[in-house]
Amino acid sequence: MTLIEAEDRRQYRATRRRDLAVDLGMALATVLAALTIGFLVMLATGNDPVRAYEVMLTGPLERSFRVGRWLEDATTLTLLGLSVAIPFRARQLSLGAESQLYAGALAAAAVAVFLPLPAVAAVIVPMVAAAMAGAGMGLVPGSMKARLGANEIVATLMLNAIAVRVYDYLVNGPLKEPGSSAVHSKPIQRDSALTPLSDWFGIPMGRANVGLGLMLLTAVALWLLITRTPLGYRIRMTGANPDFAAYGGIKVPRIIEWSFVIGGAVAGLAGAHLVQGVYGRLEPGLAGSLAFEGIVVALLARNNPLVVVVAGLCYSYLRAGGDIMEQQTDVGTEIVVVIQAVIVLLVTAQAPPDLLKRRIARKQVGVR
Amino acid sequence: MSSVLDVVLSSAFLAAVLRVATPYLLAAFGGLVAERAGIGNIALEGQMLGAACTGALVAGYSHSVALGAVCGVAVATLLGVLLAALRLELGADAIIAGIGINLLASGATAYAVYTLLDDKGGTSGLKSGTVPTVTLPGIEHVPVLGDVVSGQNLVTWLAFLAAPFVAWLFFRTRFGFHLRAVGETPDAAASVGIPVRRVQYAGLALSGALAGLAGVFLSMGYVSFFVRDMTAGRGFIALAAVFLGGLRPWGVFLAALGFGAAEALAVQLGTLDVPPQLVSTIPYAMTLVALAVYAWRRKRRGAAGEVATASL
Amino acid sequence: MMNESWRKDGPAVAARAVTKTYANGVRAVRGVHLEVPPGEIRAVVGENGAGKSTLMKLFYGLEQPSSGEILIGGQPRTLRGPASAIALGVGMVHQNFMLVPSFTIAQNVVLGVEPGRRGLVDPKAAVETTARLAAGAGLAVDPRARVDEVSVGMRQRAEILKALHRRAKVLILDEPTAVLTPQETEDLFAAVRRLRDGGMTVLFISHKLREVREISDRVSVMRAGSLVGTVTTADATERSLASMMVGRDLSLDVDRAPARPTGVTLRVRGLRYEAPVGRSLHGLDFDVAGGEIVGVAGIEGNGQSELAEILAGLRRPTAGTVHVGGIDTAGLDVAGHRRAGVGYVPEDRLRNGAALDGSIADNLVVDRHDRPPLARRGTLHPGAVRAHAERLIEEYAIRTPDPSVPVRALSGGNVQKVIVARELSAGPRLLIASQVTRGVDVGAMRFVYEQLVAARDAGAAVLLISADLTELLALSDRLLVLKDGRPVARFDDTTGLTEKRVGLYMLGVEQHEQDHLTAGLEDLGEAS
Repeated sequence: MTLIEAEDRRQYRATRRRDLAVDLGMALATVLAALTIGFLVMLATGNDPVRAYEVMLTGPLERSFRVGRWLEDATTLTLLGLSVAIPFRARQLSLGAESQLYAGALAAAAVAVFLPLPAVAAVIVPMVAAAMAGAGMGLVPGSMKARLGANEIVATLMLNAIAVRVYDYLVNGPLKEPGSSAVHSKPIQRDSALTPLSDWFGIPMGRANVGLGLMLLTAVALWLLITRTPLGYRIRMTGANPDFAAYGGIKVPRIIEWSFVIGGAVAGLAGAHLVQGVYGRLEPGLAGSLAFEGIVVALLARNNPLVVVVAGLCYSYLRAGGDIMEQQTDVGTEIVVVIQAVIVLLVTAQAPPDLLKRRIARKQVGVR
Repeated sequence: MSSVLDVVLSSAFLAAVLRVATPYLLAAFGGLVAERAGIGNIALEGQMLGAACTGALVAGYSHSVALGAVCGVAVATLLGVLLAALRLELGADAIIAGIGINLLASGATAYAVYTLLDDKGGTSGLKSGTVPTVTLPGIEHVPVLGDVVSGQNLVTWLAFLAAPFVAWLFFRTRFGFHLRAVGETPDAAASVGIPVRRVQYAGLALSGALAGLAGVFLSMGYVSFFVRDMTAGRGFIALAAVFLGGLRPWGVFLAALGFGAAEALAVQLGTLDVPPQLVSTIPYAMTLVALAVYAWRRKRRGAAGEVATASL
Repeated sequence: MMNESWRKDGPAVAARAVTKTYANGVRAVRGVHLEVPPGEIRAVVGENGAGKSTLMKLFYGLEQPSSGEILIGGQPRTLRGPASAIALGVGMVHQNFMLVPSFTIAQNVVLGVEPGRRGLVDPKAAVETTARLAAGAGLAVDPRARVDEVSVGMRQRAEILKALHRRAKVLILDEPTAVLTPQETEDLFAAVRRLRDGGMTVLFISHKLREVREISDRVSVMRAGSLVGTVTTADATERSLASMMVGRDLSLDVDRAPARPTGVTLRVRGLRYEAPVGRSLHGLDFDVAGGEIVGVAGIEGNGQSELAEILAGLRRPTAGTVHVGGIDTAGLDVAGHRRAGVGYVPEDRLRNGAALDGSIADNLVVDRHDRPPLARRGTLHPGAVRAHAERLIEEYAIRTPDPSVPVRALSGGNVQKVIVARELSAGPRLLIASQVTRGVDVGAMRFVYEQLVAARDAGAAVLLISADLTELLALSDRLLVLKDGRPVARFDDTTGLTEKRVGLYMLGVEQHEQDHLTAGLEDLGEAS
């Protein structure tokens, strides 16, 4: 094998194509391996895996409202994946999407429930408020890391714990709908709701709404930010080697803060989507486990915003399929979590793909 | 305010602190051992959960608390080894692999409970029993201390013995020396022939075992059944205690004990018409502030402390 | 210890037809035959990248030969790792020390073979053992001191004690003097001789020929992975060794016309720097004019790195002024320095000179990614970045199939070309070039030299900082010498200046008068 620098351009392109093929092949193999493990687990626990998979993999598309449920879930999940992909790009391990989402949800609800606004502003102002609240929530660990060097993993985990409890307190206390026996806030004003997709397509689509389009726009915008703007370049270089970035004149602490702020704003939007699009009010435990799964989605997509969309859609499809599987068979939806976990564990493995690439390369040299 | 003081100074409260602190202490020491071995164990949560579920299920079906506890700890140990294997054999990022293991434990325990008991919530339908309590003969007659200490669960005793144990292990035993050397400077350890990987495997196994003990306590001591996702973020808090304690056994001990005390306090204050959710944020807010202060101090001191290394 | 398996006769260590090819295809060692008899100090010399370190790693089991045999104690051995080498009586002191910083010296010395029973460590015995070994070998250490709190010299002595504790019969010293003061070097040599007289075989890796001549019994010279030859030290001169090392006469005459300095570009007055870490600077006054190369000589660690980083804006001076082209830069950040026309080739290019996982194209634009033609109205144009890279790759002869190749995939000399291309294509008024040829192959080295001279002739002020005196004398129009963070000599004409003479100033044997150091500088009182 020779050094890359001695290759000519044609060889180099061939190498790159080969590496890409290996990566794609490995991704496919990973999913297949995880599904196989799920198959074996179901078999071992006395279930019918063929039937379960059939339901799981075809179920979400069988009825339009199921498609709606899938898209609605994918919207939130993808926004959360995007929100961590940006700090991850600056190599900041922010696990704080949960706190940022709750901050965003609270801000969106505060405006959408209590502040009367004219038609278009009624939709936009709560979303802007949510993005700002999420950004503010992101700035806290961001500044602590950038200015003091405080570990961002611990800081974001602590903020999550605090935000979840404060949110719980507010929904159970000051913001609880007066006179209602259920624990939730008053509904948002009608004008603040994100238009349901059912209204557009004239078929029942559940709670899926135009937030889906918003999510796609956000993904494209973030992709442009990362690849086509000086700020994106600075984020990438800060992630690649902060000492190099500083040497080149980039203000690294400021870039770290920006990465947290942008991520926080996007997580805030996810909160707004849940309030204005999905539930129409504040519900307890709004986010569920979505925030952590957003991290998984970002990692699967290697923090590329456009790939995050694909990963988010696939991941949500599995989730939606799992729910339908549980309804129609005896298999618990948790098997989907197991499958997802196996995918995560296999995807983190860096060594096998590298080994495979090297082996292929060596074989080719042998032939040459 | 006097009622708060009354609560805090009562022996019942102190006994509650020991009980509540138990899983934090054990999991934090698990985190400490792994961190010192050079592989951050973010999977403490999953290891606790796996142990809690396995313990309750095995004990429930075999009618043997001991067997349940052993199996619970064994599962957590295996999850620790799994993390080490992913890191060392497959080159995985320890944090991402840890998140994966947490996800796996969450899904697998819920799936197992649902499949076996057809119950989404937990194993409350299964009689599994608890680890026995221990009372030193005669100690119940000692004022205050007697009330606080007697009748505590065996695992609670183990949790408090874990601090001197880990300190002894780190600073007195050959294994501890090798573990710390491997975690701090793997190259240096390897260059004197210490089997780096083997030491890290052992460290992560021990880490998992300690977290497993914490999990066993949750489902077989704190309460007598497994509840879905019953760890409720304790693994992450324990991890925070590891950093807050400055990676030193007694520092981690104090930090974990502090988290336990704050949580016990939140429970007590809840009865006094203070919103319990807000009270329960106190330990996290404290950690956040401590983290900032600690980082700020290290930043100021770091400049002076590194003189020796940087003059190379 | 398996030392019993040593044969009485024959070499202590030997290599037979040893070749080492790394997985990435680099052949670091080619068919080397080497035999070192017991009780000899053998120097192994060669340029950076000649394969010395790899050969030593093979003897110490850190690497395994691709073909050929390693012999230790007269017998062929398969070394699976350092553990098996240690068991056979081989000890190694690495260039970057292999010590655990938070452990004490004694704990480091015994690490891996701790005294104590049943899995326990006996700290008292460890201290006693260390003190006894130290006294026996004449290597002064404080066994109870933490490694991160002691001097570099003591760390090195601790490393040697580590080997002695393991009953080493062969001691490999990899560039041991690079980090030492002259006094510490002398002490080290005395200890090494004593060990040799006690029967130890010592392999001494270096590229400092003067030291090699002083300490070794025989010298083996490596070049490009091969062993060129072995000579008795008494018969060798520095010049003869040097020509064996590089395969040509070591005159590095770079084609350069006499400098035509224009006005003062860099003006430094009363520059002080209190270092929280590293070396402080105690009052520097000097000028560098456009169109000249001013060299900065000195033993490493005497303030050169700090000076370079201050001038580049990576550190702030405590007192004093720095003007570049009339702009006061002392209070500016890095970006401000770059705007003022400062270019910087950093001494450790892998640390902050490049983003290794970034593409060549991205690495070439770090200082200009927010300006036309690359960025317009807040938008960065990938096509422009790529075209910019293609142009520089062509102009600076960077070997690569494509601008999208990550810098990690390039060889050392090629990475340096990327950095030099970026810094010079910015058209700097002042170029600070620090250790520009460290770890760089001869071809790239010559190319970099030509580029520096070309930049000078184009009117840039060049401040050349180097640990390599040959390089400094070949390139500098004027020369400054730093010692302990102070200027100690200034040569306004380098013609006829010898390494020996500069060395006297570097070592503090001689010193110029203050008046001479600051002669002809304007505005002197301004800041000091």
